[in-house]
Formats: sequence, structure tokens, C-alpha cells
Amino acid sequence: MPLPAKAFQRWLHGIAPDTSTADVCRLSGVKRTTLAQQLVRGKVAEATVVSISRAFGANPVRSLAYFEIYHGLADQSILPTPQELVSQISTVDLLRAVIARSGTGTAPHTSEAPQAGLLALGPAAHATSVKNWVDAIDDGELRHRVSAAAGIAPQNYSAQLTANRMAPEVAIATSRAAGVGLTGGLVATGLVTEAEAGWEPGARQAALDMMPDGELAVLAGDRLQAMGKTLRRQEQDQEQTDMILENLG
Amino acid sequence: MPLPAKAFQRWLHGIAPDTSTADVCRLAGIKRTTLAQQLVRGKVAEATVVSISRAFNANPVSSLAYFETYRDLAGPQVPPTSHELVSQIATMDLLRAVIARSAPAAESGAESRGVAGVAGTPAPEHPAPGGQPALSPAPHATSVKNWVDAIDDGELRHRVSAATGIAPQNYSAQLTANRMAPEVAIATSRAAGVGLTGGLVATGLVTEAEAGWEPGARQAALDMLSDADLTVLAGDRLQSLGKTLRRQEQDHQQAEKIWENLG
Amino acid sequence: MIEILQWTTLIACGAAALSRIPNLVRKKNRSLFYVLALMTLAILLSIQGPYLVIDGLLGSTNLANLLLRFIIFGAIYFLGIRIANGFGDERGLRLIQGHAGLAILAVISVALLVLFAFMDTEGSSAGMMAVYARDERNKVLTEYYGAAGRAYPAYVCLALLPAMLRAVRSTLPAPLRISALLLAIGGIAVILSLYFQAIPPALGYLTYVINYTAILCFVFGLALIWLAKVRAGRNTMDRTGRSAARS
Repeated sequence: MPLPAKAFQRWLHGIAPDTSTADVCRLSGVKRTTLAQQLVRGKVAEATVVSISRAFGANPVRSLAYFEIYHGLADQSILPTPQELVSQISTVDLLRAVIARSGTGTAPHTSEAPQAGLLALGPAAHATSVKNWVDAIDDGELRHRVSAAAGIAPQNYSAQLTANRMAPEVAIATSRAAGVGLTGGLVATGLVTEAEAGWEPGARQAALDMMPDGELAVLAGDRLQAMGKTLRRQEQDQEQTDMILENLG
Repeated sequence: MPLPAKAFQRWLHGIAPDTSTADVCRLAGIKRTTLAQQLVRGKVAEATVVSISRAFNANPVSSLAYFETYRDLAGPQVPPTSHELVSQIATMDLLRAVIARSAPAAESGAESRGVAGVAGTPAPEHPAPGGQPALSPAPHATSVKNWVDAIDDGELRHRVSAATGIAPQNYSAQLTANRMAPEVAIATSRAAGVGLTGGLVATGLVTEAEAGWEPGARQAALDMLSDADLTVLAGDRLQSLGKTLRRQEQDHQQAEKIWENLG
Repeated sequence: MIEILQWTTLIACGAAALSRIPNLVRKKNRSLFYVLALMTLAILLSIQGPYLVIDGLLGSTNLANLLLRFIIFGAIYFLGIRIANGFGDERGLRLIQGHAGLAILAVISVALLVLFAFMDTEGSSAGMMAVYARDERNKVLTEYYGAAGRAYPAYVCLALLPAMLRAVRSTLPAPLRISALLLAIGGIAVILSLYFQAIPPALGYLTYVINYTAILCFVFGLALIWLAKVRAGRNTMDRTGRSAARS
């Protein structure tokens, strides 16, 4: 949580000069105790700034850019790459696209398939969006560069990806190390929405439509296998837990 | 086409004693020239026997069992393994099952995006009643290869090669082309120690029902799969589909280039 | 017998060239028309009757034979580039169009001109048979001259052969693989023509068979590609349907 409390106070004064702290909290849905705690510690969470920005009709990305470490966010000229866009489509939506393209929506599935084709994509920041985002921008050496730049041990970084979490400053560092637009990671972690990050509406759908069938199938297959591994580990953990409880509970 | 014409004539006489060849062909939807040719060569295709059986309401598997090569098809068969059953579910149906199982998680995903979301929320063991569309019938676009993969212990291809005298690369080529001669299908079943009808269903020679598979057996086998197993299986299927599609796309591009330059 | 082979090849090649006229008008792959037109002209010049007429117009010094060699060089050069581009054969393209390829073309061309200049070429005769029979010196010169004329086409075909064989074994649509096979057979025939001197005179007809096999293979290979294109164009509508059925 690296936003200095002083800078936060200045920013807050600029955005809501005549509003009491109590009202700010009420309007933005931030708990008063949480904010108080963050101010006492001298470090305010980025999510707090985002919530307050939304409450006062300001763009969260631009608000973050007010702070020293996020100055780079002011420049939104770099658009997300097609790979980044596709990485923010959930696995289930990719599967729906595969089915829609296979055209087996005739015969027994007439009612379902056309719908699937037209169905809007779920929002960005899905269950594995952080890891998928990093995979989409990784040239093979990205993890090492981020480690070096952000001072995070590679295994900790990997653990964050697996847990679908990433601190905003690490997300920015990752974008920088990969040479892509700075907002990608903020969208992937769910801190800001696609629209707030300045992504065109429908950009993800367009990127998906551009993918050749073979590539889409391989990507969806990769996603499924990763998901299968996760599920398998969970099932094994569950079995182990059951066994312990059965024998010792 | 290994059914001897003489045995076929005897069988045909048994099943349709008073019907002219012309009528048999008409009822069974077989071209007269095709049948005539097969009879002249002395070798009748299994598919011919299957078509005629259906026309005269006989079970095609029992009919095949009339012939020496397929004698073992007579009598009750070993039921298909759950792996075999699942192998006969089309890839798109597997994907639909994955979607159906993760649907509740996906809906609540927006709020509870914590550890793994879709993957994390335990999906119901059985799909929502009534929400599941029926599986498309076996066989599907890769059913032969998937069937062999489902019964392969790692050495199956070698054993089939040895038993039938087919070169391993020819056998693999057949699987890739989703084709397999009926006698090879039987040999494969034997080499794998599973019921003999699996390959006949996978190649589309006979239907599940004709092979004596319980209605809904494939759906039941699918429902029995754990989320992880289903997901991994669907992932494998998608990856090989993707590879096939990619190769096709590359070939297509290459062909376009040839036409562009030389057409 | 050989006459029939020659005229058949001429007709096939001429027909192939004529079938390109619509594309020529539409300015699509125009060089293919020129390649086929040059090949037709080359065949015409290799047949006794037309050769005597044309060479007579050029002064009866067998200049028509020299012309024939350069027509073949031109046709094989442009055809080679087309084929290499079409089959995505970067290496073959470099070998033909790169410095080495052009140097080889230049050296062979100069050799051809020098040898021709040293020969006593008076008196039209197809294949310069009369010159060959004149005396020992002219015989040797004619042999080298012929070898030089066959060397460049053989070089181009050798450069393209690996890519053709790869295409034959690929998973491309069947008509294209058959085309690649025909082009490969034609190429092998051209390469074999390097060994014509080793063929005993009694089997002289073999040289004709090999030459015209090469041309016919090229012509039919190209025609098959064109037919496949026409057919594919008609089938694009249901391609999506088929790929769906496969998936």
C-alpha cells in the first residue's frame, strides 16, 4: 500500500474539497475504520483511491496518476495487445466461442448455440486473469526481469499469479518490463475496469474474433489443462483432508 | 471386405428368404451395382450386412456374428468401460459439460474472485437437471482415435500391429483419418481386453444401441467424471483439435500461396 | 513416333498458354502466360520442319538453335521463381535469384555464345545434327554447347527439387501434391538430361522421351494447380461446413 497519506490528503482535497471524511467514506463504500487505519499508517491502498474516484465521478486511472509512483499512468497512448485482450476473456467464454465456431449448434442444440454466439463476454478480471495476462505478455524472460526490477523473489511472484493476485505497483512493473501499456495489469487484477483503463468497448470480443480457429482451440486447450491441474490438486487436497478427518477427527 | 460371398448368400437367405436381390437392395438402400460387384469379387463389405440387417429388423451385431471372422460377437458382450463411453462423446459436448459445471461459479465469479474462482468453487457433481442438452450420437469427428486412446495401456498399438500385421504408422494414419476396418477394430478390442463392439461403434459401423450399450450410458459416464478429469480430458481434446486446425490453416495458407503464384 | 510426341507436346503447351489468356487480360500472374508461350515457342523450334523455316529466315546459320537455348533459359528462370514463391521455398528462390544463381546463368550464357561462335554453324539443321557430324572439332564443340544449354535448366530444377518432394509428402490438398509430384518428375527429367552424352546413340530416342516428359510434366502440373484453384473457388462456400463437421 504505497500511497503516502499526505499526498492522498492533498488529492482528496482536490477531488472533494467540501466533503467530510465521513461522507467520503459513505459515498465511496470505504469503511471509516479502514481509511482511518490507512491514514494512521501513512499508507493508503490504491483500492481506496479507486473507490473514492468512482464515487466522485473521476477516472480512477487518472486519480492514481496523481501519485508519484503512478505518474506513468497519465499516458494512456499504448493500447492493449490482442494477446492481452484475449487473456482477459474467461476460460468459459473461450469455450463458448469454440463451440459457436464449431457450428454444431444445429441439430440438438439449436436453442443454445446462437445464444452462446451472441452472449456478451463476462467482465475482464476472471478467475485466472492475472496469470493469463502475464502469460500473454511473457517473452520467456519476463518473470526474471520483473523479479529484478521489483525485488520480488520469482517463486513469490509465481505464487501471486497462481493465487490470481498482484499488487498494483507490481502490475505496473510487469507492464513496464514487458513493454506494454501500463493499465493491463490493473485491469487483470480487477483494480480498474476495462472502460476505466480506456479499452475500447468490444475490444476483447474483436480480438477474439480475429483469432484463427486453430489458435483459439490451442489456447482454450491450454487454459483447460491448467484449470484441470488446479482442480486435480484441489481434489487431492480434499481427499487428504477427508482421510485425516476420517481417521483422526 | 472379408465376408465370403457364399456365407453372405446363406445368411441373406436366412434373413430374407423370399426377397429378390433387387428388393433387398431397395429396402437396404444399397446400390445394386455395389452389391453385385462385391458378390463377383467374392468379398462382401460389413457395411452391406449392417444395412441389410437394419432393413430386415435384425440386429447388425448378431448378423455379423453369423460370419466366421466375427463369431465372437455372438452372445452377450462385455459392457464398454467408462473410458470407452466417454471417448465416444464429441469434444463440443465435453466443452458444454465443462461450461455447465462451472456455470454457477462463473455467475458468482464477479464477487468471489478469490483463489481460482471458476476452478475454486466446487461444481455440483451432477449437472442442473433439464438444463443439459442431449449428447450428440456416437461416433464423432475423432471418435476412432479417442477410442483407441481410451483403451490404450501404452503398448496397445504394438500388440495390434503384431496381431494384424498392420504397420504401426499405417495404423496411426488410420486413427488420424478417423477410419478403421471392422476386423482391425475387433483385433484392437481383443488386444486391449475390452468388449468387442467398442470399435464398431467408434467407427460408426453400428450404433450404440445396436451394440447393446445402455441408453444414457455415455451421459452417466460423463457425470461420473470428476471436474478435474473432465477438464483435463477436454483440454487434451481441444489441444489436439487445435493442432489439427492449425495444420489445416497452414496448409490452406500454403495452398493459397501456390494458387496465387501458379494458378 | 517421336514426331507424334513432339506435336502432342506442342499442342498441350500451346493450349495451356492459350488458357492463360483470360488471366493475362485480367493482369493476374502474367508471367505464367509468358513462360508457357516461351515453352511453346521452344518446342516449335525443336521440331525439324518449323526449325528449318525459322532458321531460314534468320540466315540459315543455326542462330535459331542459339535462340532456342535462351528461350529455354528465360522460361525456366521465370517458372523457377514462380514455383519457389508458390511453394514458399526461400532457399530455392535464393539459389535462383541470388548472386550465385545469376552468376551461374551469366557464366553458362557466355559459354554458350563463345562455343557457338567457334563452331562452323553454316547450314540449318534441327538439333545441329549436321554441325555435329561435320568433323571432330565441331563434334566436340557441339557436345559442350549442348551440355551448357542443358546445365542451367538442370541447376534450377535441382534447386527446386527438395521443396517439391517436401510438398509431395505434406498434408496439402491432393491435387496440389500431385502437381508437386509432376513438377518433381519434370525436374528430375531435366536433371537427367545432363547425362545425355552418356546415352549410347542406339538409345538416342531416350533423349527425346526425357525432354518431352519434362515439358509435359511441367505443363500438366501447372494445369492441375489451376484446376484445383478453380475447384477450390467453387467450394469455399461449404468449406466452413466441412471444417465444422471435422471438429
